[in-house]
Amino acid sequence: MRPADLMRRTAFRLALGVTLFVLTSLVLSSTIGYSLLRQQLVARQDARITEIFTALQDTSQSNDQTDLIEAITTRIKASPDRSTVYLLRGAGGEVLAGSLPDIWYQPGWSAVEAATLSIPTDYPYRIFAGRVDGYTIIVGLTDADLDDLAEISRSAFVWSALGVLLAVIGVGALIATRIQARITEVEAVLHRVALGDLTARLTLSRAGSDLDQISLAINHALARLGGLVEAMRQVSADIAHDLRSPLNRLRIRIESAAEAEAKGLPVAADLAAAIAESDAISQTFSALLRIAQIEAGTSRQKFTPQDLSAVMAAVAEVYTEVAEDVGMTLTCQTSRQAMIEGDKDLLTQAFANLIENALRHCPPGTAITCAVETAGTHVRAIIRDSGPGIPESESDNVLRRLYRLEKSRTTEGSGLGLALVKAVADLHHAELTLTDAQPGLRVSLLFNQIDAAG
Amino acid sequence: MRLLLIEDDPSVSAYVARGLSEAGHVCDVLTDGTDGLFQATRETYDVVVVDRMLPGLDGLSLVRALRAAGGRAPVLFLTALGGIDDRVEGLEAGGDDYLTKPFAFAELMARVNALARRPPVQDVQTVLRVADLELDMMRRQARRGGQVIDLLPKEFTLLEVLMRNAGRVVTRTMLLERVWDFHFDPKTSVVETHISRLRAKIDKPFDVALLQTVKNAGYMLHAPR
Repeated sequence: MRPADLMRRTAFRLALGVTLFVLTSLVLSSTIGYSLLRQQLVARQDARITEIFTALQDTSQSNDQTDLIEAITTRIKASPDRSTVYLLRGAGGEVLAGSLPDIWYQPGWSAVEAATLSIPTDYPYRIFAGRVDGYTIIVGLTDADLDDLAEISRSAFVWSALGVLLAVIGVGALIATRIQARITEVEAVLHRVALGDLTARLTLSRAGSDLDQISLAINHALARLGGLVEAMRQVSADIAHDLRSPLNRLRIRIESAAEAEAKGLPVAADLAAAIAESDAISQTFSALLRIAQIEAGTSRQKFTPQDLSAVMAAVAEVYTEVAEDVGMTLTCQTSRQAMIEGDKDLLTQAFANLIENALRHCPPGTAITCAVETAGTHVRAIIRDSGPGIPESESDNVLRRLYRLEKSRTTEGSGLGLALVKAVADLHHAELTLTDAQPGLRVSLLFNQIDAAG
Repeated sequence: MRLLLIEDDPSVSAYVARGLSEAGHVCDVLTDGTDGLFQATRETYDVVVVDRMLPGLDGLSLVRALRAAGGRAPVLFLTALGGIDDRVEGLEAGGDDYLTKPFAFAELMARVNALARRPPVQDVQTVLRVADLELDMMRRQARRGGQVIDLLPKEFTLLEVLMRNAGRVVTRTMLLERVWDFHFDPKTSVVETHISRLRAKIDKPFDVALLQTVKNAGYMLHAPR
């Protein structure tokens, strides 16, 4: 991976960002800590100088000069490294005792370089000079402690920064690598999908992290896509297969017309039959197209409240006399309003297809009954006939496109009627069930009811 | 009748144009949407037949532009789409009727005729008449030779559609759409059944049959010559 690629990786950028943030915070907190501590130490240094000065002041007030010199000499002895330094001048300015050179000291507080004091250290001194009963007492304290503190703070900062940096880089790299591995895997899987392998799936960790949830969603989408593509493949094959016979018949008709024409015989009958065949083919195509459009689901945006009872009653009215003409009876039991969200044209066609199925596949004398009933929050539409019915084992197959029962192979029809009903049912989120009415077939569509007012 | 056909498939336009001129109509054919729109706004036509998918400018936009420019000619859409929403889209764009490919020429002719003679304003006729057959729209009553005929509501609508188009062929598909609001092709003889019921009521008891079956086309109600 080139550095430019590395910079584009979210995980890496995230780790880098966190590192910078932690470092900045560390610098800020170290600076604040150091300055607070230093302030405190300076205050304590001054307090210590003031304390020594006050003690010497007390000595000078209560005792004579010898005692004062004694006290200072003792203190000088107690600080052989000259970390604390003293100087006692008499009223005339003469040095009575001291570990400081005889130079001019500013009255009050001051800071003096060690070199000025002829002390061989690098640290400056904090000096206080004050007058007590004619004497001048000068007390100084080295800044070595303060400088040590700065040194400690600095190294503490450097070490902790180094530690934090290493930790962040380590953890960041670990996380980034793991996330990157997952992302790389997702990329690889999606690449396989793009190449046409819809069986590729992402692996899930047990952690159930957000990446797992995305992976799960992708897997679901892939599974659904795979199913759809498989169904489509199946349908394409079915269409190609099923359209061969009508196309063949069409060809035979045209050939026969051409032959008749060559012999000078009338061709009208053959041509009419050819037109009928091509109409049938075109109907199959438009039915397939319609199912495909319904399955695309765009019509759902145009759903409006529909009274299913009214839709059913209107369809039943159209077919009552058609049924009578073929010696069947069609009755419709709808009374109460049953509101659902739907597309009237599609519902009409679905009901019409179901009734037409009964009309075409049942013998004369069959009774067809349509009903719409409300049940709780649902609306059930039922179309039942007393005909031969569909074997239980076939009830799923008949919903497939172009599928036809063996016994119906020879009758007219495209095998798309029930597939369209299924597509309409799915579009309306309605549950379609085919059951044995003993005798006959009972088709039930269970819709969700909506508020009649809504 | 003067027609404008905007269709990019040469075999379809040749077929339609030939049929129309054989029927005695004048037909201008254009293959490009933009040219078609220009021509439709420049000249006056009785009916404009527009394909949904055209090079240059698609049929829907063409009709929208035509309507926006004040073009009032009735528009018949032709389409290979034939989908559930396409019809509604076509009508919403300002089209007056819709025909799915492949179509029989008779179907196109019947629809063009129905469009061309459609009265420009809402028909206020309260009684429709064909020979001695009368349809009273106010009383929703049919009479023939003064004799009242009992009709079911859908039979009344069926007769009304036929009478409004008296003398012109009304196809099976037109009846399905206008009487029953069926926008699909039923596999059973819905139209035939209802026509035969209607015939039994309006023609059978009388000497002269008014409701004719036109072979390979549809039905026509007309007074005997």
